Amino acid sequence: MQIDRGGLDDEAKLIARSLKQDSDAFGQLVEQYATVIVNLAYRMVGDRTEAEDLAQETFVAAFKALPRFRAESKFSTWLYRIAANKCKDWLRAKRPGQGVQDVDVDEVLDAGVAAEERTPELLLSQQQVAGQLDRAIQRLPPLYREAFVLKHVEGLSYEEMQEILGVNGDTLKMRVYKGRLQLSRELAELKEA
Amino acid sequence: MREQDLLIQRFLDDDLTPEERVAFLQVVDTDPSLRRRWLNLELVVAEAAQLPRLAPSARFLSQVQSKLAIEPTSLWDRLRAMVTAPRTLEWNFAGAMVAASVALVAVAGLLQFAPERIVEVPVPIAGGQAQTASFAPGQESKVYVRLVLLQPDARSVSVAGDFNDWNPGETKLERSEGGLWTATIALKPGRYQYMFVIDGKQWVADPLAEEGAGDGFGAQNAVLDVAI
Repeated sequence: MQIDRGGLDDEAKLIARSLKQDSDAFGQLVEQYATVIVNLAYRMVGDRTEAEDLAQETFVAAFKALPRFRAESKFSTWLYRIAANKCKDWLRAKRPGQGVQDVDVDEVLDAGVAAEERTPELLLSQQQVAGQLDRAIQRLPPLYREAFVLKHVEGLSYEEMQEILGVNGDTLKMRVYKGRLQLSRELAELKEA
Repeated sequence: MREQDLLIQRFLDDDLTPEERVAFLQVVDTDPSLRRRWLNLELVVAEAAQLPRLAPSARFLSQVQSKLAIEPTSLWDRLRAMVTAPRTLEWNFAGAMVAASVALVAVAGLLQFAPERIVEVPVPIAGGQAQTASFAPGQESKVYVRLVLLQPDARSVSVAGDFNDWNPGETKLERSEGGLWTATIALKPGRYQYMFVIDGKQWVADPLAEEGAGDGFGAQNAVLDVAI
């Protein structure tokens, strides 16, 4: 997310006012980041209502934790981090026993492709690619999905992702690589079906 | 990871030096299989960047506001700040005399006209908006407030506001004939903001409220002044 210098100054003022319980100021911050956070949550959980609920929880948590926010990182990075954790918690609760950490790369890749339902009627047109990709992202293992979405849907750098997720750059690159590979295989398979 | 796959990934991540990029593109040019794998990955990356973005729904911002419940804290902080903030008082004798006179008249008026006991009175429904009736059950005076909303198509209506921590599950309205929804709640005198919640998801301000207040997110809450 690109914000110019003036924008950052304005944002700093809004944060300072929010710390004094100024609801208008925090409201402006929510408005500014609502779309980004709702979309991140949507790509992670695949359901609009759940995504908005998680985004709401993100903003409420951010407001409560605002006194602990230090300007060492950007506000957007801090917000992304809270949202990513909310999504992880949601995914853990949704699928008990299948933690977001326990993914075996090749096993998941093979299983993901094998489990895919393919019908002869399924022909992939140019217009369908986006829809297919959207659904294929939902089938990625959570850690790959998280890394892929931040990198290629949200357009963040690996440095920003490292700060948000607390994971080193090489690991993130590997996750993004695996995510891209699975998505590419799935789309190619659909094309050939 | 095979060497060629590694090259593709490094190309996509912009990790190759200019020389390596040239070398990579030359190999791609002569290897159809590699070119296909590379283009498939490029397609994924390009399409991902163009996925449609959701716009948050209309209810989103009002629900964030209700969950934050900022107003009570904010009001308290402001009151505390008003009381405790150091300030310089400018003494104006004439002004002070006028203020004292007004206060005396007000107290005298209250003594003369205030009833010995405030009793509950029937509340007519026909006005539509929040209506009040008061009583004095011992020390802590409360006022009965009737909330009314006409919503013939609603399956449920509740109210969320300062008085119930903006919890839409706490205060349900009851439906009567014609799709009129009502609830009667006891409130201490004060100023409250509130919203109706239709079918558990649609937040609307009371259309008949006499006053509204910005919720901090561009929408308006209904405002209810309760006085004895």
